[in-house]
Amino acid sequence: MGALEDITDKVNALKYKSGLSRSHMRLATYKGRIYALPFTAEASVLFYNVTLFRRAGLDPKRPPRTWEDVEDYARKIRALGGDYYGYVFAGASAGYNAFTFMPYIWASGGDVLNSKGVPTFDSPVITQALTFYRRMWEADLIPKLAQTDQGTNSGPAFASGKIGIYPSGAFFIPTLSSAKNFEWDVTPIPGKTGGYASFAGGDEIAIPKASKHKAEAWEFIQWATGEEAQTVLARKGIVPIRTDLYKSIYEPLNPKYKALAQAMLEGRTPYSTVYNALFNDNNGPWIKMIQDAVFRGDIQGAQRAAQQRAMAITAGS
Amino acid sequence: MAPAREVATRERIGSQSVSSSWRWRRSVEGILYVLPATVLIGLFFFIPLGMTFWMSLYDWPILGARRFTGLANYGRALGDPNFLHAVYFTCVYTLVITPILIVVGFALAMLVKGHRRGVGLFRTLYFLPVPIGFASASYLWVWLVQPDAGPLGRILQLLGLVQQPPQWLAGTTSALAVVIAMVTWKTSGMQMILLMSGMHSIPTELEEAARVDGASGRQVFWLVTLPLLRPTLALVLVFSVAGSLLAFDQFYIITGGGPSNSTITAVYWIYHTAFINFQLGYAAALSILLMVVLALVSFVQLRLIHRSVEL
Amino acid sequence: MKVMPLKTRHQATLAWWVVCILLAVLFLLPLYLMVTQAFKSPAEAAAIPPTLWPHSWSLDSFRRMGGEVASINISQHILNSLYVSLATVGAVVLVSTLGGYSFARLNFPGKGVWFFGLLVTFMIPFQAIITPLYLVMRALHLQNSLVGLALVYITYQLPFGLYLMRNAFGTIPREIPEAALLDGCSTLSSLTRVMLPIALPGVVTTALFAFFAAWNDFFAALILVTDQDRMTLPVTLSILQSGQFGTIDWGVLQAGVVVSAIPCVLLFLVLQRYYVSGLLSGALK
Repeated sequence: MGALEDITDKVNALKYKSGLSRSHMRLATYKGRIYALPFTAEASVLFYNVTLFRRAGLDPKRPPRTWEDVEDYARKIRALGGDYYGYVFAGASAGYNAFTFMPYIWASGGDVLNSKGVPTFDSPVITQALTFYRRMWEADLIPKLAQTDQGTNSGPAFASGKIGIYPSGAFFIPTLSSAKNFEWDVTPIPGKTGGYASFAGGDEIAIPKASKHKAEAWEFIQWATGEEAQTVLARKGIVPIRTDLYKSIYEPLNPKYKALAQAMLEGRTPYSTVYNALFNDNNGPWIKMIQDAVFRGDIQGAQRAAQQRAMAITAGS
Repeated sequence: MAPAREVATRERIGSQSVSSSWRWRRSVEGILYVLPATVLIGLFFFIPLGMTFWMSLYDWPILGARRFTGLANYGRALGDPNFLHAVYFTCVYTLVITPILIVVGFALAMLVKGHRRGVGLFRTLYFLPVPIGFASASYLWVWLVQPDAGPLGRILQLLGLVQQPPQWLAGTTSALAVVIAMVTWKTSGMQMILLMSGMHSIPTELEEAARVDGASGRQVFWLVTLPLLRPTLALVLVFSVAGSLLAFDQFYIITGGGPSNSTITAVYWIYHTAFINFQLGYAAALSILLMVVLALVSFVQLRLIHRSVEL
Repeated sequence: MKVMPLKTRHQATLAWWVVCILLAVLFLLPLYLMVTQAFKSPAEAAAIPPTLWPHSWSLDSFRRMGGEVASINISQHILNSLYVSLATVGAVVLVSTLGGYSFARLNFPGKGVWFFGLLVTFMIPFQAIITPLYLVMRALHLQNSLVGLALVYITYQLPFGLYLMRNAFGTIPREIPEAALLDGCSTLSSLTRVMLPIALPGVVTTALFAFFAAWNDFFAALILVTDQDRMTLPVTLSILQSGQFGTIDWGVLQAGVVVSAIPCVLLFLVLQRYYVSGLLSGALK
C-alpha cells in the first residue's frame, strides 16, 4: 500500500462520487482511505442465442431466471441435435470462472470468501452450484471443448451460432457483432431460485506515490471518470464506471446494454490480497475445484481439497 | 578426460630455463584470464547455490520479512500432496519416455548408419527438430493437437481413423502422450547421432570376426554390438533422464499442468511455489530436494555404467 | 561376408528407402504444417476445420505480429531476443576463449582444481537455483532487465564454452605458441594472432551453442523478465497463446514460432559440422 497516493480528500470533493461503481470503490479503499478510482468496467452476464431459443420453442423474451431455467433451456436446445449444445464455458480458465461462475454463487446467497476474507470453498451453496454444472456436463449439454478451454474456444463456439447460452462480458460483444447469422441477447446471471449477480471487473486508475506530476495526474483521472471520457469508452463497448450516467450515455447506445448496466450495478468482486493465487491461477485451487467437480464428478472431494489449499494460501504459508 | 600434465617446477622454452619471476608473471596472467569466468560463475552460480540452502531454512515471502523456521519447510514438503504428486508424475514421465527415446533413437541410428546413397539426407532430416527450442516446439504442438483448429485431428479424421478430432489435452494419459510424442519428435535425432557415432566407433573387424566364427546376424547384434555400445547407451540414458527430470517448458505450454493439475512436474511446482504463490523459502527447500533426487539418480546411473563397462 | 543375391539386395534397398521416406514425412509434417499455417491468410488460418494445404498465401500473419494482435508488438520482442542472444554469444566467446586458453596453455597454482570447480556447474541445473538467482538479480538491480537475463545465459554457457575452448587450444601442438613467444609475442597476441585462428572451429561451436541456449530459453526468461516490453520471444508467444478471454490467432502464433524456429534450423544446416561436433564432445565429457 505504500506505492499509491492517498486521494481520499480529492475524491470526496467530487460531485459524482456516489455515481462511481461501488465495487471498484471498495477495492480501491484500504483502511478507510481511497487510493484509486474506477476507470473501465466489466460485468458478467449470460449471452443467449435468440435464434436457437425460437427453434427450440423457447420464448426469447423470457430468458432464464433460475438455474432450473438454464438447465431446462440448455436441454431443449441440445435436443435440436447434431452439434447444437445448450451451454458452454471455458473450463480450464481460472479467471474466466471467477468472472462467470461466482455470480451464480452470489445470487444464491453464498460466497467464496467470508467477510474476513477467509475462503469458504466448502460451503453448501458452492456444492449446489457445482452440482448444477455437473448435471449439465453429465447430460451432455456442454461440448467437450469446454473441459480444456482456457478462454479462447468457447467464445467462438457461441459465436458460431451452435450454442444456446454462454456467460461472458461486454468485451465479447465486438466478437459477436461480426457473427451475423443469428440473433442474440443478454440477461443477468441468475441465482438458484431467482435474483441475479455479476462480477465487477475492469480497471482502476491511481497515482503512484513517487509521481512527480500528481496534479496533472489527478486532472487526468478526473477527466477519465468524467462524462465525456466515459461516453467515449461506452461507444467502444466498454462498460462505463459512472453508474449515475448509465441511463444517459450507456443504455441508449444499444438496447442490450441495459442488462449490462443492470449487472454492473449489482457487480461484486472478492476482496483479498491473495486473489491472484486463489482465483486467477490456472493451477490454483479455484479452477481445480471446478474441474474436479464438474468434469470428474467428485464434488465433495474437490471442495474439501480446494478449501484446504485456499486456506493454506490465505494463511500465507 | 584429464588435463595434460604440466611440468610445474621448471618450464622450458626451447633449451632455456626461465626465471621464477617470469613464471610468477605467467601465473598472474593465467589467473587473470580465468577471472571473468570465475567471477560470473561465482556470482551467478555458487552464490545462488549457497543461498538455496540458506533460504530453505526460512519462511521467505517474496515481499515482506522472512522468518527462520529451520527444517520446517522440508517436513512440509514431505507431506505436501502437490509436491509429492509432482515428483511422482515427473518420475512416471521419465520412466515412460526414456526407453521410448532410446528405442526410437536406436532404430533411427540403425537405419542411417550405413553408407548408402541418401543416408546423409535422412540423417539431417531426422535431426532437423533438434536445434529448435523446447518452447517453440511446444507452441507448435499445442496448436497441432487442438481439437477444432488443429491439423492433426483433422488429418486423422480425413484418414478415417476417428470420427471427431480427439480432445487430446482433456485426459491425463492422452495429454502425457502428446508431450511424449513432441519430445520424441524433437530429440530422437540427437539420440540417433549419439548412438550412430557409438556404432561407428565399433571396429567392424569385431563384427566380422564373429560372423566368420559362425554367429548369426542376431547373435552378432546381441553379443557383440550391443555390449560394445553400452557406454554410448549409458550416455544417452544419462542425458535423457536428466533432461526429463527437469522438464518444464513442454508441460507449462502444452498442458498448462492440466487437466486439473495432473501433469505438473517437479520444476513446474517449484516455479509455481516461488513465483505464483510467492513462497521463496519453501521453493528453495523443494529445489534442494530436487537436487538430491537428481544426484541420487545420477549416482545410480553412474554405478550401473561402471558395472556394465567392467563386464 | 555373405553376399546377397542381387534381387534381394535391391528389395532391401527399396524397403530401406520406403521406411526412411515415411519417417522423413513424419518428422517433416509438423514443420510443414507450422510454415503453411504462418503463411495462410488470417481468415484461412482461423478456419475450423483447418485446411491442410493453404489456399491463400499471405504475409499478413507476420505483419500482424507488429502490433495488431492483443496489442503486442512482437517485432520488439524479436529484437529483445536478438539483443540478448548476440550479447550472450559475444560474452561467452570472449570469456571462454580467455579462460580456455589459460586452462590449456598457461600455468597457475591450483589450475586443475579451479577448472574442475568451474565445471561443477554442469552437475547442477539452473532450474534448481532459480529461486535465489531471482533474488541475486534483484539485489544487483538487474531484475526485469535484459542485461540480467543475458548475464544468466552467459554464466550457464561458460562451462561448456570453457571445456570446448580448452580442448580446442589443447590440441594445438606446443611448438606453435612457443615459436610465437620466441618471436617476442606477448601472451595476448600469441592468443589472438596465432592460436585463435587455429582454434576457430571451437569458437564457432561455442558461439553456436551459446546462441541456441539464449535464443531458445523459456524458463529463465519467464521468471526474470516481467515487463511486457522487455520480454523475449518465447515468453511473448506464451502471452499470445493464452489469449485471455479472446480468440487465439493461431496464424500469428505459428508465425511467431516460424520466426523463433527457422533461424535455429538454418543455423544448424549451415553449421552442421560444428553443431554435431559440439554435441559429441559434450557427450564425451
